[in-house]
Order: sequence, then structure tokens, then C-alpha cells
Amino acid sequence: MTEPIRLRRPRPVRTAISLAPMIDVLMIMLVFFMVTSTYLDLDMIRAVAPTTEETPATAPGPETETDAQAPTLLVRIDASGGAAVRGQPLSPPQLASLLRDTVTERPATQVLILPSGAAPMQALVTVMETATQAGATRLRVVRLEARP
Amino acid sequence: MRIPRPAPRPAWDPIVPLIDVVFFLLVFFLLVGRMDATSPFEMAPPIATTGAPLPAGGATLTVAEDGALALDGAALPPQAVTARLRDRLAADPSLFIRVNAHRAAELRRVLPLIAQLEAMGAQDVALVVTPEAE
Repeated sequence: MTEPIRLRRPRPVRTAISLAPMIDVLMIMLVFFMVTSTYLDLDMIRAVAPTTEETPATAPGPETETDAQAPTLLVRIDASGGAAVRGQPLSPPQLASLLRDTVTERPATQVLILPSGAAPMQALVTVMETATQAGATRLRVVRLEARP
Repeated sequence: MRIPRPAPRPAWDPIVPLIDVVFFLLVFFLLVGRMDATSPFEMAPPIATTGAPLPAGGATLTVAEDGALALDGAALPPQAVTARLRDRLAADPSLFIRVNAHRAAELRRVLPLIAQLEAMGAQDVALVVTPEAE
């Protein structure tokens, strides 16, 4: 009697994937993301807004001022970054209280900011922020342009 | 005398926690960092606490302290910046443009740029600010 043939199964090979290349790639990605990312928290202030949201929420009633009647308050920013209204140099708290008083009294007040070309960016942003915090909704930055 | 050899341990055994940590760090930096708004200059945006969250995408125009310009991280002469932005605005008029100006940059270097962008038809321009002083 013949013995049944025993087929030998190939032993399962422990596929030991080499992990070193994977770790290399991971480390490179890690260093890449660490180096290229910026961690500064960035916000924005719109300078030019899309014109789609032009429709005012409330129709101007008889007691609300129309744009033509609304007073304007011109805030100048000098070359050193100081603010002045009606020729009077104002400290930041004075400017804030003036803006708050004006806007509370006449909410439709248009605040115009006329900065000197030599003023730093921070001065403009600070004045814009003061006006926003005072509740001014109509804010505009104007600039003098040389006539060609 | 025979000293018994220790049984060979699988080589990847102690590496698994390392990979875990590296993955964790990788995901952390992916989530925490933002890849945009890189610039070739030292940047310090103006400080303002009333800013709105800055959306991703769009074009980034960087103005350095001395007025040098960069578009999307590449330093360029002003004419090249204008030309490129004009092309991009012609292709997509609703292009979001962020102006990342140094807080000490003079306004005469920044405001004419924004006026120029508006004249070229830009409808969505934002100034980049930061709520925190480093």
C-alpha cells in the first residue's frame, strides 16, 4: 500500500516590511510641515467688499436719516500716526469717546479717514478699529491723489 | 559553558510607538499650521481685534516694511504684480485678494495699491490683521 503523498505547504513567510523608509518619509513630511506652516493667527478687515450685499435690511423710514443728510466726520491721520479731528489732535481715548458720542447721537454718521501717505499701516488700522468699536457702520478711507 | 542567546525579537517591535508619535505630530502640524500667506519678507500684520476670520484661497499680495511687493510668496517688481493680478482678475473677477501689509509700511505704499486693485475690477479685497502681538 502506497502512502498518500504529502504535499508540503510552503511555510507562510513573515513578511517583515521594512519600516525604515516609511519612517524616513514621515519624518521628512513632519519637518516640512513644521517649517512651512505659519502659526500666526490671521484675521482680515475688508477693504473692498463684494457688492452683492448692497440691499439695506431696513428701508429708510421718515425718522431715519438718508445718506445725503447724514453728517460726516473727517479723521485725519498725520505722518506720525496721530489722529486729528477738526484740526484738533486727539489721543486715542479722546478719539474713541468723540467717535462714540458722535455715532450715538447720529448713527448714520459717515466717518471719513484721511491718512497721510507717510503714516504707518498700524495707525490706519487702529483708527478703523476705534471707529468700528464706537459703532460706526459707514466707514471710508479717502486719500488725496495728485491731479495728472 | 553555554550562554543561551536571547530569543530574537521582531525588529519592528519598539518602532511602533515611534511611528505613532510621528503620525500624531504630523497630523497636529497639519491641523495647526496654515500653509498660505507665506512671504519672502519678515511680516508683521497690523494688530486689530475686530477682524473677521480670514478665509483660505485667493491671491496674497504682500507689502514689506520698505514697500517691496510679493504675490503669493514670490517677490516681484510692482509692474509684474500689477500685470499678474490684472490677468487673474480678468479670468476671475470675484478673486479674493488679501493685502498683507507690514504694520510699519507707509500708507502711500499700500493705499494706491488697493485703489489700483479696485480700478482693475477687484470686488473682494481684505487687509490682513492679527489679533495678537507676538
